[in-house]
Order: sequence, then structure tokens, then C-alpha cells
Amino acid sequence: MPQRRHLVASAIVVLLLALLALLPLAGSRYAVDLATEVLIYALFALSLNVIIGFTGNISFGHAAYFAIGGYACAILLTTYNWPLLFALPAAVVLAGLVAAVVGYFCVRLTQIYFAMLTLAFAMLVWGVAFKWKAVTGGDDGFTGIKLPAMLAHYIGFFYFTLAVVSVGTAALWVICHSAFGLTLVAVRENAVRAGFIGVDTRRMRWAAFTVAGTFGGLAGALFGMYHRGMYIENAFWTESANVLIMVLLGGIYSFVGPIFGAAALHLLQTFTNQYTPYWPTVLGLILLVIVMVLPEGLIGLAARLKARRGKP
Amino acid sequence: MKYSVMLAAVGVFAAGAAVAQQPIRIGVLYPLTGGGAVYGVPAMAGHQLAVEELNAKGGILGRKIESIERDDKLNPASASSTMKELITKDKVDIVLGGLASSVGLAMSEVSKQEKVVYISTIPKSIQITTDKLHKYVFRTSANTDQEGDTMAMLAGKNKLSKICHLELDYAYGNDLEVGILKALPKYAPDAKIVLTLKPKLGATDFNPFIPQVMAAGCDGVLSGLWGPHFVSWVKQAAPLGFFNKIKWISGGEIGSHEIAGELKGEYPDNVISNAYELWYHGNDPSHAAFQARLAKKLNTQETPQWAALGYIGVMYAAAAMEKAKSTDPDKVAEALEGLSIGTPVGKLTIDAKTHQANIGQFWGPMVKKPDRAYRIMEPAEYIQPK
Repeated sequence: MPQRRHLVASAIVVLLLALLALLPLAGSRYAVDLATEVLIYALFALSLNVIIGFTGNISFGHAAYFAIGGYACAILLTTYNWPLLFALPAAVVLAGLVAAVVGYFCVRLTQIYFAMLTLAFAMLVWGVAFKWKAVTGGDDGFTGIKLPAMLAHYIGFFYFTLAVVSVGTAALWVICHSAFGLTLVAVRENAVRAGFIGVDTRRMRWAAFTVAGTFGGLAGALFGMYHRGMYIENAFWTESANVLIMVLLGGIYSFVGPIFGAAALHLLQTFTNQYTPYWPTVLGLILLVIVMVLPEGLIGLAARLKARRGKP
Repeated sequence: MKYSVMLAAVGVFAAGAAVAQQPIRIGVLYPLTGGGAVYGVPAMAGHQLAVEELNAKGGILGRKIESIERDDKLNPASASSTMKELITKDKVDIVLGGLASSVGLAMSEVSKQEKVVYISTIPKSIQITTDKLHKYVFRTSANTDQEGDTMAMLAGKNKLSKICHLELDYAYGNDLEVGILKALPKYAPDAKIVLTLKPKLGATDFNPFIPQVMAAGCDGVLSGLWGPHFVSWVKQAAPLGFFNKIKWISGGEIGSHEIAGELKGEYPDNVISNAYELWYHGNDPSHAAFQARLAKKLNTQETPQWAALGYIGVMYAAAAMEKAKSTDPDKVAEALEGLSIGTPVGKLTIDAKTHQANIGQFWGPMVKKPDRAYRIMEPAEYIQPK
């Protein structure tokens, strides 16, 4: 039985990738751009879920690593003229390093104190991006990011994003389903018990924090390159809240949940904006529904529907 | 009789054929929600007024205009996504708008990548028409160098010798400061800046700053505190007698009726400031008619100045397409270079090199009038950059 499930899952993944790869053939530039945006947010949400879903702590400051990755990649590419081959990995490593330092302090706390500390560090990053005008452009933003000619075309960039996000997602899947990932779940479920078994819970959570920051940085780097600009708003707490809602909407107890959450929220936001400027109202309603009716997100809903159908 | 009916029918058909032509699509972004809506909503009203008027006259190049309006959310990344969507999905021929400097720069970046003309109608960031200038971006609002230049000139004219300088600590404030410092030696070579303070954007408590300015012994303040910042400063400083001796020369359009109408009797003495447009005072014969139409649309006699900026943006887009006889972005961009048009604030010309329109502003002291509950700018001098 589990083997059959794996087979079905692999088939779905392959089918989805094939569909995405064929998307540019449909000829709609808009659809390709939208898919690129969704892919980037999906990776961002997946990275955050390593902290939320697997260690059970809420981070209110995940935009910090997104911004560090984005700004670092933008600055290395544009100000220092680094080739993408070095700029992108360097930006990701930098985001990971900062996450490691911040995480070192944050994992000493749990629950609300943890969340507050992540928020505090994120506002610190925002402050640096705002004040360090000579390097980051301050609140004018950092625009005019240079890209290799191959990625300057939207289809080239789409395939690049698809490849990077696929590799990133695969890497996160392996990490989350390794012994390390399972240990994290154990820590989430009962930290005291996990500690008694001999798990260094703090170190586990620290590692998870670093992994999340690293992949968040990767998403940020893609985001900056896609928009050809990074802005201090990307480091602000509202961006952290946005990705948090994506994760909650998708479902925190499932690996793929955040992907669906990111797609649903971003597409909904984009389409709503075409009809009314009152997106915040819609967002409020979505949040309400998640908290009151769908605590386990879209994935939880799907599972519930399936279970109901399964009954005689 | 029969013939006339048939003729009329033919006429209707011919008109129908002309209407069936693809409309010209103008994309526009202003902040319509949140903190920027106070400015974005009136600007959008001016934009709509221009589109309605043009459509009543048959549109552009005989084609109807379709205006596709979006909220920029005062967020550059969001504006960038939305502008891309307007270009790739809605196939707009030109994009107008923006308010914040960062949003203007983000939109300019999309315009450069997508090779679609963008006319920046409110953002003042000097970078748009200097470091980040490219073929497809134009500006019909003032910039911080022009505003700083006029403020320095007024400092010289009012014989300020010891100046306190107040700017908000963000892009606009920092750029305006540069503009003022550049021009000050030219107009007021003997003036000295004795104190520079930079409150935060969005600050509401100015109590830490007010005593410092009062103790610095300056005879004048050069200020970039706009809108709510100025209102808060007045409410906190006026009771201390702050405005009794100090001349307050300010950019940021606090001479506009929006601020005068909000502060009413609390509006202090000794303020010299600017406004893009004043509903009660025109410098061009066409202003009165424009203001009357706007008043009818907004259902108030006291119309906001931002509408004129939205209006002028559309006028420029239309004039450029008519001149180019095309909506092709390359041709429209070429047509915009050096283009002069008549607007409610007089004749404007876009410089062919810098892509900056020589739009001026009304500058003058805000004075009390016995028959009015609010102050008005009098005499209001229209100062246009050379």
C-alpha cells in the first residue's frame, strides 16, 4: 500500500513538472510571469514551514532572510558585477549564516517569546536595509539589477526559477524526511520526551532555523532578480506575515501544504486586485476562515473531504 | 424623410465601425487604500476626469480610451507586479501614476524592461530623471532639485541668516535636503544652517524637536514636513509661540487647500509654502473651466490639488500619441521629448534630454482672510523652473 502511494505521488510530481515546463508553449506571457511569482512564493513558504510545521514554533521574521538573500544577490550582481554562478550561492550562504546567528539566540526561547525575538531581528534587518542607503538604496529601493542575457527573457527566467525551485523543494523534502526531519517532528510533538531520549532539542531547532533561513534567502534572491529590484518593504514584518498566512492557509502539518497555500493566496491576491483595491478585507476573511474552520489549512480540508467520502 | 433615416443609419454604422476599433488602453496606478489614499484617490479622480473629457471628444486618434486602474498599495514590489500584469495581460499602451519615490523607481524599472512608456505623475525622486533615466520614462511632477532650488531662493529673498533645517528621514527628505544645499550658496551666500533635524517618516510626536529649534536662535526654518507631519508640528509647536518670530519656508505642498482646510483657524502665521494647484487661484485661462468640471465631479467647490497631476499625466499621454500618430512606445517616447502642451496650470514642456516637465508650483505666504474660515495663499506666485 505505501508503495502504491509513493508511485502515485511521484506520478503527480512528474505530471506537475511537465505541465509547468510546457506552460510557456501556451503563449501567454502573463501566465508564465504569474507562474514564476507563484514558484518563488512557494519556495519561500516551504522554507518557513521547516520552522513552523516541523519544529512547532511560529516565526514572525522570516522576511529577513528573504530580504538578505535578495539584497545580497542584487548587490553582488549589480554593484560588484559578480557572475550569477557565484552571486546566487554567496547570497544564499549569507542568508543561511545570518539565520544561524539569529537562530542561535532565538531557539533559546519558545512560543510567543521565540516569535517576538524573530520579529525583533527581522526589524533589525529592515533597519539596516533602510539606513544603509549607500549600499541598499534605502527606501528608494535597489533597482536596475543586472542579469545574464539568458535570464533577461521571461521564458529563460521562468525555466531558471522552475529549476531552482524544484531543486530547492527536492532538497527540503529530503531534509524534512530524513532522520533529522523526523527528529524535529518528535521535538515538536513533545520536546521534553525527545530530550529524555537524548535529542539535543535546542540544537535541532537551531539547525532547522538555519535551513529555513537558507532556503528563504534562495527565494529572496529569485524574487529580486525577477522584479529587477529589492525594496525595504520586502524586509518589513508585513512580508513575514504574508508568508506566514500562506503557510497557515496551505496547512502546516503537510510538506506540500505551503505550496498550495502560496499559490492560492498569491493568485487570489492578484485576481482580487483586478476588481477591487480592498484586498486587506479579503485577506481578513481568509484568515478568519483558516482560524475558525480550517486550522489545518487546505491540505487538512482535502484530507477531511477524502475521509468523509471514504465512509459508507 | 426616408433618405434622411437611411443616411442616419449609415452614419450610425460608420460610427459603429469606428467604435469597434480597439480602444487605447491606459494603465494607471495610484495608492487607493492605506496611508497614501489621501493623495492617490484625488489623483485618480483627475485621471478619470481627463479620460472622460477625451472620450467625449472622440478619444485619442479617433479611438476610445479605456483606463485600467489599479491600487499600487504604496508598495514597490506590488506595483511592479501589477504594472507587469497591466502590460502583459491587459496590453496597455502606456502606464501613468505612482506616488512614493520607491514605487516610481520600481515602475520605471518595469518600463525599462518591458519597453513601455511610463509617465511619473507624482513621484519626486530626482533619480528617476537622472541616474535611473532611460528612454521610456518621463516625469510631469516637480522634482526635489526644483523644489529645493525654490526654497533656497525664498530663503534668500526673506533674508534668512540663521537657518534651521527640518527634513523627514527618508528618500524624499534626504533628496530635498540635497537640492536645498546645492542651491543655497547661490541665493543666500551669507545664510548659515545652524541646526539640521530629521524626524522619522510618519512621526506624530515632535516634542523632542520643537525646543531644539526654538533654542537654536534661527530666524527661519526650511522644512520638508508634509501633510500630517506639518499638522502635528503645528498643533504641538504653535501653543509655545513657535511661529511668532520664525519664518517657516516649506516644501511638501503644505500651502495646498487640503492642509489649509484641515487646520483652518489653527494654521500658523509666517508660513510660506507651495501647492501644485489652488482651486481659488489660476495662472491660466483654462484653469477656471477645469476647476469647475472637477468640482462637479467631486461634488465640492474646494477641490484637492492632486487631481491636476493625474489630469496632466493623461493630457500628456494623449498629446504624445496624437503627435506620434501611433501608440508604438518608441514613437510615443520620441514624441514626448520636447513636447509642449497647454494644461490647467499653463503651458508645460518636457525637456528632451532629462525627460522632466517644467511644471512649476504656486508659492506664497498663507494669509488670513476676514470672509473665510481657512487661510489662502496670497499672493500666489507661479514659479516654474527655467
